[in-house]
Amino acid sequence: MNPTLYPRPLSRREFAGQVARGALLAGAALVAGPAALAAQSGQNNPFAYDLSRLSQTDSKLVRYEETGRFRCPHAEPRRVAVGPGDALFVAAGNYVTALGAGGASGLEIALSGPARCVAVAKDGTIYAGLRDHVEVFDAKGQRRAAWETPGGKPWFTGLAVGENDVFAADAGNRVLFRFDRSGKLVRRLGEKNKERGVPGFIVPSPYLDVELGPDGLLHVNNPGRHRVEAYTFDGDFEGGWGKPTAAIDGFCGCCNPIGLAVLPEGRIVTCEKGLPRVKVYGAQGEFDSVVAGTDAFPENAKVGAGETRGDSTLAGLDAAADSQGRIYILDFVTGDIRVMKRKA
Amino acid sequence: MNPSPRSEAVTRRQFFRNGARLAAVTGLGTLAGVLTGHSQAKTTVWQIDPAKCLRCDRCATHCVLEQSAVKCVHAHALCGYCQLCTGYFNPEPNDLTTAAENQLCPTAAIQRTFVEDPYYEYNIDEKLCIGCAKCVEGCNRFGNGSLFLQVRHDRCVNCNECSIAIGCPGDAFRRVPVDQPYLLKTTHAH
Amino acid sequence: MRRLLHRLCPSSSRWLVLGALLLLNTVSRLAAEPRFPPPDFSETNHRIPVTTTPGARALWLQYADVAVLLACLAVALWLIYRKRSRRGVFWLSLFSLAYFGFYRQGCICAIGSPQNLALGLFDPSYAVPFTATAFFVAPLLVALFAGRAFCAGVCPHGAIQDLVLVKPLKVPLWLEHALGLVPFLFLGAGLIYAATGTGFVICRYDPFVPLFRLSGRFFVLMAGGAFLVLGMFVGRAYCRFLCPYGALLKLASLFSKWRVRVTPDTCTQCQLCEHSCPFGVIREPSAGALPPQFLGRERRRLGGLLLLLPALIAGGAWLGSKLSVPASQLHPAIQLAERYVRQQKAPAPYGVQTADALSLQRAEENPEAILTAAADLRQRFKLASALFGGWVGLVLGMKLISLSLRPSRTDFEPDRGACFACARCFLSCPNERVRRGLMPASELPLPVGGNAGLVT
Repeated sequence: MNPTLYPRPLSRREFAGQVARGALLAGAALVAGPAALAAQSGQNNPFAYDLSRLSQTDSKLVRYEETGRFRCPHAEPRRVAVGPGDALFVAAGNYVTALGAGGASGLEIALSGPARCVAVAKDGTIYAGLRDHVEVFDAKGQRRAAWETPGGKPWFTGLAVGENDVFAADAGNRVLFRFDRSGKLVRRLGEKNKERGVPGFIVPSPYLDVELGPDGLLHVNNPGRHRVEAYTFDGDFEGGWGKPTAAIDGFCGCCNPIGLAVLPEGRIVTCEKGLPRVKVYGAQGEFDSVVAGTDAFPENAKVGAGETRGDSTLAGLDAAADSQGRIYILDFVTGDIRVMKRKA
Repeated sequence: MNPSPRSEAVTRRQFFRNGARLAAVTGLGTLAGVLTGHSQAKTTVWQIDPAKCLRCDRCATHCVLEQSAVKCVHAHALCGYCQLCTGYFNPEPNDLTTAAENQLCPTAAIQRTFVEDPYYEYNIDEKLCIGCAKCVEGCNRFGNGSLFLQVRHDRCVNCNECSIAIGCPGDAFRRVPVDQPYLLKTTHAH
Repeated sequence: MRRLLHRLCPSSSRWLVLGALLLLNTVSRLAAEPRFPPPDFSETNHRIPVTTTPGARALWLQYADVAVLLACLAVALWLIYRKRSRRGVFWLSLFSLAYFGFYRQGCICAIGSPQNLALGLFDPSYAVPFTATAFFVAPLLVALFAGRAFCAGVCPHGAIQDLVLVKPLKVPLWLEHALGLVPFLFLGAGLIYAATGTGFVICRYDPFVPLFRLSGRFFVLMAGGAFLVLGMFVGRAYCRFLCPYGALLKLASLFSKWRVRVTPDTCTQCQLCEHSCPFGVIREPSAGALPPQFLGRERRRLGGLLLLLPALIAGGAWLGSKLSVPASQLHPAIQLAERYVRQQKAPAPYGVQTADALSLQRAEENPEAILTAAADLRQRFKLASALFGGWVGLVLGMKLISLSLRPSRTDFEPDRGACFACARCFLSCPNERVRRGLMPASELPLPVGGNAGLVT
């Protein structure tokens, strides 16, 4: 319309100048934006499930100190047991391995499947528990027998052996089997029975353990009731002790303890998961001391059921005691075995 | 209407335009063709891999919906039916009753019903659940991990980019085919 | 896994290996151990409930979405070109707002779809859904032949802005042109972030989808509200100055075969249409030939700008590559790696079970993997941000060149690229009113200017 020099609505120069100004502003906004985004919360969680206070152990209660630590020779450790001559046996992977002093591997027995528990008789016979049956080996590691699978939904997690009997804790069937040494089933113990006053085991997850005490009684953990219970060989319920609490003198979480050991004089060592801790109780259930508190097992305390393994266990601990009163603690997560000795 | 030089210019422009259009159509076609190599007729939806979930609070706080589309779900077949459920009760309950002060859930969305001695069943009221994962942590810490979080597809609006996924510390969100929209915990471990 | 296989073996044996792996996977699943059994409930025979799995939206409804899209596009074309009816386009856009906006809640959307395609091209593990491809391709194809009919009647974002527009103000020309570059830059950023697997930033900063859902974070809802308030005075502010898909449609419709014309026959140069357009896209006729004494200078300028273009692209690419580190910080994996390194250098206490703490703990479990992944990504970002910088240079250069080109227009007509085909201008044209019988031909204004005659 107007034949002037620049017949355009917008000149390059005007455009460039204004755009440069605008770009500066936009640039500032672009820098500020991500910075504001980065500052966004991630710093607090109003819905946190806070166990930090409960994870601290009063050091006055800890009466044991670590005198040694060695690694379990195989992955997926489950139970430790002490045999004659205070030899240590560990069920891990598909093996039962004897460990000498300092953790050197000795005799190694290959099983037909993953090892879940182990017990060694005074004569040296080794009983290894797999998920649904028991395999028997002599002191030299020669296979002697593989016992029959019991009915139901067997899930062996604990073994104990006496003079003439082998006791197998079956977490799946919620029962304690009493076998003779040849593998013949003698009796089912611990099943709910109102007439005999047997409360029955509550086993939400596969951690049922049995130990034979010097008092001639079987000590079995009843995790769902947060108790340690005593039974005679014939299945009479001799009472139990323990209370559900996250406090140090009780058993924490939904289902604890998960593992037991008996000290020579009859006191009982208990292992817990969730808040991993190992404690000693008197034979009547009075709280004695802490062997190792939650703060001693940082890796173990981190693991939740999100990481459950093939056998539905998550983190866990097991313990065994030798004739000197030393306690061996097996850590499922790190695969460490700690030797704990009572402080002088 | 116009003198000839002008119409010639128009023709040049038209030629250029036609060429460009042809190129663009071909380009679109090629793009679509290349993409059919890894495209699918199905659409995808967002889901949480329970094995990777770290149980933070972001499913409760980061969903675009007023009330998160992520809810706690219960794989009852994995549950221990505990009397003292650590997903239901706070870590140090005064008493094992359904009183609010004993409950872990901030919205009391877990219902506890007696089945038979000594077993109790726990069910999630999804209208109340906000997906905060507190019970999931409690259940995982001590129990079997039968409680876990899932995106509920009757609520999820299936954003092109899930705004919880952006902030997920466990990298647990992923796109799954629409006909298999859940990543449930099963009764078989693998 | 597919990418790994790709690297390991040639294509023919890849399928074999994949098959073997699948078989192995199935076998291991069959052999998987059963979980620890739950209680028996021998007293009550209580049955263990099954976890419910409410289904996602049915698949056929996705196809229905695509069908609705295609139908809406067809109706829009018919309304714009055949009926020339603004009212029809308005009602169609209301339907689209209701369907794609409030019913589908904005998340079946053409605007975000370029990101799906970019991710699909660069991440072999991501399969692009059919709907995303359809929503990307269909409006673009239409634009290549008939302009932005999608913007006019199908896009819910446009519809909601058209709905709130009360008093359109004229945006200063320089600002209009400058802000008009933003969609191209946003598109580039969106594609780069999608291709690197960072996320879909276009969706993240969408102001209207939270409004469609009627929920969202306060800040995002506020942004949506602000755009609506702005939209009362600036027509389709989002479409003009932000929408990245709009940028693609703009490019496509530059080459369209058919275009929207204000007048059915001859322009009287009355300028009424120019005032009717709330988006300022009606261009006036060109001013005629340039006086010959300026011609040489103009040509030299244009030549200079054409030479400047590669320099701008190269400079942009160089600058972009320098900024790759801050650009990469939007990627969650790089954020985590950086937080991990900071924590290692200066350990800071963190809260119980916070997202930060949990992700740090995850990093601590396998720092090697986290750090290598971040280093790989950094490498990819170097290239990506150089590409983005080059793109910025190209966009700027093309803008400068286009400002130097001399349009040849004889009539008032909508800008090919910028016109949303909303059909508002049709009825402003006296010729159109006469054609429709809304006005006697005798009331036609006299033609202004010399190069168009009045035909009745």
